[in-house]
Amino acid sequence: MFFKSLDLTTALRPLLLPDEILLFVQDAVGLYEGKYKIQNYQNGHAYLTSHRVCYVAAEDPRKYSVAIDLKEIDRVESQAGFLKSSPKLTIYPKPQKKKTDKSRSATASPAVAQQSVLQPTQSLSHIPQTNFQQNPLSPKPINATWICPICSFSNPVPSNFDPATANAATNLPPCLACGIKPPFTTVLKAAISAVASRESPLLSSVASPAIAQDTDQPNANASLSHFGSGGTVPCPRCTFVNHPSLMECEICGAPLSAGSASANRVDSPAPLFEQSHIANTEVSESIKLSFRAGGDKTFHERLRGALVQRKWLLQNAPPVPSPSQGASSEGLPSPVASVESTLPSAPRHSGVGIAGLERRGLEARKKNELVIGNAFEDLEALMASAKQIVALAETLARESGMTTNESSPETSAVLSESAAALGMVTTKDMLNSGSESLYLSELARDLAEYLTDDRKGILQREGGIMSLIDLWAVFNRSRNGVELASPSDFQKAAELWEKLKLPVRLRRFKSGLLVVQRYDWNDEKTIEKIQAWMEELQRVPPDDPVPWDWSLFGRAVTAQEAAHRFKWSVGVAAEELEMAEDRGVLCREEGIEGLRFWRNYISSCGYGDLSRLAI
Amino acid sequence: MTTTPPFPFPPTYNFPPFFTPQPNTTTRHSQLEKWSSLIQSWCRHHRQYRLSLIDAVESPLFHNTALRKRLDLREARAVVDWMTKSEEEGGGGRRAEWISDAGGASSVVLGNGAGQGPKTVAWIWWRRPEEWADVLVDWVEGTGQKGSVLTVYELIHGEGAMSQEFHGMDTDVMLRSLNVLVKRGRAQIFGGEGQEGVKFF
Repeated sequence: MFFKSLDLTTALRPLLLPDEILLFVQDAVGLYEGKYKIQNYQNGHAYLTSHRVCYVAAEDPRKYSVAIDLKEIDRVESQAGFLKSSPKLTIYPKPQKKKTDKSRSATASPAVAQQSVLQPTQSLSHIPQTNFQQNPLSPKPINATWICPICSFSNPVPSNFDPATANAATNLPPCLACGIKPPFTTVLKAAISAVASRESPLLSSVASPAIAQDTDQPNANASLSHFGSGGTVPCPRCTFVNHPSLMECEICGAPLSAGSASANRVDSPAPLFEQSHIANTEVSESIKLSFRAGGDKTFHERLRGALVQRKWLLQNAPPVPSPSQGASSEGLPSPVASVESTLPSAPRHSGVGIAGLERRGLEARKKNELVIGNAFEDLEALMASAKQIVALAETLARESGMTTNESSPETSAVLSESAAALGMVTTKDMLNSGSESLYLSELARDLAEYLTDDRKGILQREGGIMSLIDLWAVFNRSRNGVELASPSDFQKAAELWEKLKLPVRLRRFKSGLLVVQRYDWNDEKTIEKIQAWMEELQRVPPDDPVPWDWSLFGRAVTAQEAAHRFKWSVGVAAEELEMAEDRGVLCREEGIEGLRFWRNYISSCGYGDLSRLAI
Repeated sequence: MTTTPPFPFPPTYNFPPFFTPQPNTTTRHSQLEKWSSLIQSWCRHHRQYRLSLIDAVESPLFHNTALRKRLDLREARAVVDWMTKSEEEGGGGRRAEWISDAGGASSVVLGNGAGQGPKTVAWIWWRRPEEWADVLVDWVEGTGQKGSVLTVYELIHGEGAMSQEFHGMDTDVMLRSLNVLVKRGRAQIFGGEGQEGVKFF
């Protein structure tokens, strides 16, 4: 398994592959390799997508961001928080054939020991079922652990221990903690179950975290003990005053302000990994994600779901099996297209005339029924086939207006557009319900991406500047009516742009109008543009004769004209003109025609004619 | 008065925004400066010492017929108000002074501003009384009349001062200028009202 370097979008989020879906985001996450902390990767966002686990550091994200592919993950273990140790997820890579045994065992055993220290007190009888036998990587050596019956310390099974040949006479090393030699059966059982668990890795990975949490650390909540400086925490929902160490409200179950749990755990006791930059390095043992602000359970759940679903396989997968073979044999790019093109495609039955058409129609309906039926089987499956369902819905919606043989480029463009619209939207359910700030920051990133997306060119179309309200409307419309952003969330998110160093900025005009513009857009640029325009007006004679000297004064402009020329909206144009007036570049004329703006001749060549006046 | 040549308006006079009060303070300031100098040169051109705004708003000074733009009474008053303030107050250096209608304003020659409420008639100091005093002293010294006695009427309408700028000056302005000289100890005024004589030292 490799740490892959990660391409980031303009909003400093992972750039998603086609078909990749964002599943979950959690902030304040630290990254470990084995038991070592990796420097510079101790405070960041963890993004779980259908294909990858991405880590983006909060500071200097372009430099410190990595991803690992889900397909290289063997299994995932959850580890609840304990006292000051944050909850962690340990991700184990799939075995690699090429690795030599030597290096394998050299790096493996200390990490395994470290891993097991935090999951002690497992009674002996549990061992065969649970998976303290860590690595089903290669048959030899077995990276299993045995639990000392005296002190409950997890020891590695010696690398030269072979369950097939060993007997009671085999020399066993004593327990690393208490120095007592283990009974032979304990070690043998551990070794055998390690081999067994390798054969069913999925099972064990699913089974283990629950046990670890339920039996070992009953007081997982104690991980938030750094709350406890005596203060009580009122519940944001029901206002019940909770004990500071509680994570959820005792009365209503609302998550208490997890944000106040300081995420700054960079200086916790674990040793630091020597490397500070890990892109493209190989993961030797395992990696750990430390969730300093919670969210580990949901992350784990979704990660497990993603590992089960194996979306990455779909990339090159054939379309959904369908009764009409003809559809897939046409070599259409996606399963979606095949749904649609069932009607025009040639069926394998040599049906001609009305009977043939009817049969084809029947087949199409059957297949659609199948797709819909599959989708609604359960919610997980619905999410998995969301894309198809959306496509299907659109097809159905358009069917009335569409002639039967609509050529596919346009259609697929529309479909991919809607799929793209579904792709990278952070919805509230991807996040911990409690972490409002994370939702806002993700929404801010969504917006920044949406704005800077060159395919849509939202900002370009609006002349580089648009009002926040317009953006809100456009953005919500592009979300296809689901997971709409509320106006207050929207504004709060927009206010975060500056803090998150995103390439768009919110700006407040004097009148209070809020607009959105690129970060490198400033008043000076606008003024330059306006001045160039004014100079142009001095050169070009006006259409109608005017009583003033147009070569000296130029001509008056209105907000409408400015809006038309710079492709701004009228509100923005009026504000920009007033801004230029504030800077003394323009001056105004109020008349029966309304408000018009002129080059500021009043103060520009001020004192020249004062002396002329003095006769 | 004899026919005066047409007043040469400055180019800003034909600039439409000139007639709109500017919200920007810097622009507003230069706009007021320009108005101030325009009013001063207008009055100087027409040898006018006091300006009645009621009449002036209809005159070409405040009404640009070509542009069909005008400065209305309120705005004109704002401009003159600004002119009355000293520069320290952010004004136009006391180039104007309101004439209250209660005082002697009604008795003087151009009494057309009387009885029309406050702030309708103003002195326009295209030369302030102190400056006039300097001009008088220069003239007296230049013509060797130091120590001699002159009547005020002589000063204003006399043959000797025909070529001078203060020829035909408003009596009130002349008296104020002479009072400046009295304070400086360069002149002495005697005689009754309307027949004042002045002696220069």
